[in-house]
Amino acid sequence: MAFLEVEHLKYRYPHTKKLALDDISFTAEKGEFIGIIGENGAGKSTLSQAFCGLVPQFYKGAYGGKVTVDGIAAATTPTAELCKKVGLIFQNPFNQLSGAKDTVWDEVAFGLENFGVPAEQIHERLDKVLHQLDIWQFREKNPFDLSGGQMQRVAIASVLAMEPEILLLDEPTSQLDPQGSEEVFHTVELLAQTGITIFMIEQKMEKLASYCDKILLLHEGKQIAFDTPEKIFSRPDLAELGICPPYVTRYCVEQHIFRPDGTYPVVVEDVKEALKRDKERKVTLPQLADTVLAEAPENRFDVRNLKFSYTEDHPIFENFQLSLDQRPTAIIGQNGAGKTTLVRLLKGLLKPSAGTILYQGEDISRRTVASLAGQVGYVFQNPDDQIFKYKVIDEVMFGPLNIGMPKEKAMEKAMEALALTELTPYAGENPYDLELSQRKLVAIASVLAMDTDVIILDEPTIAQDYSGKEIIRNIIASLSEQGKLVLAILHDMDFVAQCFSRVVVLAHGQLLADGTPSEVFVQEDVLKKAALDMPHPLQLRKALEQIQ
Amino acid sequence: MKTISLYTNNGSWLTQLHPFTKLWYLAAAICIPLLTGSVWGFAVMIIISFVLLKSGRLIKKALPLIAFSFTIILTIFLIHGLVNQQNKNVLFAIGFLRFYKEGLLYAAHIGLNILNMLLSFAIVVLSTRPSELVDELERKGFSPRFGYIINSVFQIIPQMMGTMHTITDAQRSRGMETEGSLLVRIKAFLPLISPVVMSALTATRERAIALEVRGFGAKGLKTWMHPHQKTKADRIFSWLCIAGLILALAGRIYLWLS
Repeated sequence: MAFLEVEHLKYRYPHTKKLALDDISFTAEKGEFIGIIGENGAGKSTLSQAFCGLVPQFYKGAYGGKVTVDGIAAATTPTAELCKKVGLIFQNPFNQLSGAKDTVWDEVAFGLENFGVPAEQIHERLDKVLHQLDIWQFREKNPFDLSGGQMQRVAIASVLAMEPEILLLDEPTSQLDPQGSEEVFHTVELLAQTGITIFMIEQKMEKLASYCDKILLLHEGKQIAFDTPEKIFSRPDLAELGICPPYVTRYCVEQHIFRPDGTYPVVVEDVKEALKRDKERKVTLPQLADTVLAEAPENRFDVRNLKFSYTEDHPIFENFQLSLDQRPTAIIGQNGAGKTTLVRLLKGLLKPSAGTILYQGEDISRRTVASLAGQVGYVFQNPDDQIFKYKVIDEVMFGPLNIGMPKEKAMEKAMEALALTELTPYAGENPYDLELSQRKLVAIASVLAMDTDVIILDEPTIAQDYSGKEIIRNIIASLSEQGKLVLAILHDMDFVAQCFSRVVVLAHGQLLADGTPSEVFVQEDVLKKAALDMPHPLQLRKALEQIQ
Repeated sequence: MKTISLYTNNGSWLTQLHPFTKLWYLAAAICIPLLTGSVWGFAVMIIISFVLLKSGRLIKKALPLIAFSFTIILTIFLIHGLVNQQNKNVLFAIGFLRFYKEGLLYAAHIGLNILNMLLSFAIVVLSTRPSELVDELERKGFSPRFGYIINSVFQIIPQMMGTMHTITDAQRSRGMETEGSLLVRIKAFLPLISPVVMSALTATRERAIALEVRGFGAKGLKTWMHPHQKTKADRIFSWLCIAGLILALAGRIYLWLS
């Protein structure tokens, strides 16, 4: 009998007609690292919640088939019991903290206290996991005072401390910087080696390709395949299923590079092996294609001698200088580098303690946010911080009407924005009935409709699958064509390299690099300082240059 | 994170006392003067509370509470000194305002009672970490669910205030005025409050799951990581309070019988 068995699992949420899970069957053994992929709405999170009994015990609804963990039926065993064997980590670390503990130490101990684990053993386990997740230094801090990435590591530590035999991770790295997410993957891989079975839901296909033994591919609640990464990513129907294979595989498809078994390589090492086998073979090396504006870009922002701090003893920016023109610009850097602070200063939500911020030559450092709303648009990271209307169209028209746009024009702009974000069919829907990824697009549309010259996007790709990212890529291209400045904070380096003409690298409030993607991403020392990774095309290029 | 707890971790002896010892003091400080029924009883307990706060280096933190209570106490003195129905003997006059002895004595009784309660509560609130008090109550059989509610209030309310701030920024970014006339503020109410409520509802569901998967509903004995053991000082302090209560009660019974 396998450690985890899923047999003909079917599930439908209450008050819905469509099956969220439709006849899922597979088995997993101890120590396996399994990725779960599929576009938004494929049933990935629902499946993970069925492993720990939340489906159907917490959500209710119609349930059929069977999930057994080490011989225990998940559907009927109380979650509070089952969680000794199955640990679950969500995408949003904020909501998985207990909300009742003052320190990281107590937060991580919370689950162990509930199970009555002896205090000495709790100390030992905490000592181990806090070091393992590199959060020992925060043990006395309030968990809510940490950055998103640090908070996520606290959340992972809280579950790891309970020493589960199966660990379910639902997009745990979506809010982490590249090195932070690499650390999580590496930690999880080490856990798999200790015999823990890992299930990871992820949109980062390159990571899954590197770490997973097997991948479960879902589509509209149905199991499409359960196989090795090579076989999954070599499928010809991935685009139809809303999956973008790893860059390495896309490159190999173009260059017709195969593994001995006829599948495409999914990791760099496999490409190198394939080329070593065929020494005569010449390939075109991957490269970044910088986009260049047809006309000389107009200046937008001038930041001069900027000084800013939240507290007197901890300055964020000191004598910071930056000029921004019309080119679509990505601001990158590790969690806590000052990226969000910078864009909030540009938007006027924060006021500099010294220095000036000029927008088209005018000092805006003392202007109110509302007075800048018609010129600078800002899409917040969490769409739920702004949505309040009962219809998508009303939500999108809210901003234009606020800045004094006539109702007819506001409607016209709102419809254009909905078309650009591919939300036109949802114009009459309640935004709260939409998926998080769609709500993010509603938030983007509500700012696009204001027709501002500058659009700031804070982590727009979080929670987006391949098709969602494609929509955002088209939005950026379309706005740039109109001569608008798109300024985005991002952790997805491939997306940055693909969509932006200019990249600004920040670390600890300092400007580390500024240039086109192909100029910035070759500066390895800068990337290391800023805890960033090269985009995958450059990583592959670097590896192939070594063997050619 | 901004906290709504008034606890001050200054490492003083008062912060190191067991929470239940301070609860005994609270009970004694409130009940002894009420049982004695004398203004002097209040005065003595107020002096003791002041001394405790001073020795626990908490007097500065207690001053705003005292200042706040003075406004109320002054109002009580004004009302009862001037218009209490028992008023007969004029004690002094300021211009045409005549203050009566009976009303002022009654006001002194109420005022000192308020001040006494405030100071004794200040000792508990300023020197006790809320989570520590809840843990100790749970160890004595208090429901963990109620304990969680109390603890989470201290964490989640500041979080909601932070969310409210972000929501205000998000709506201001879309050109909404949040400051100005009453009408402007009324118009801003719905766009500000709706996301707070919806976010709170979503977060509540996710947090319920988070608690469930971390064994919050597990049956069996819990472990407490920081059990606060009672020291000799705790025992002496508690017994002094209990003795004071017994003496005051005995005195009261004696007065009734005689």
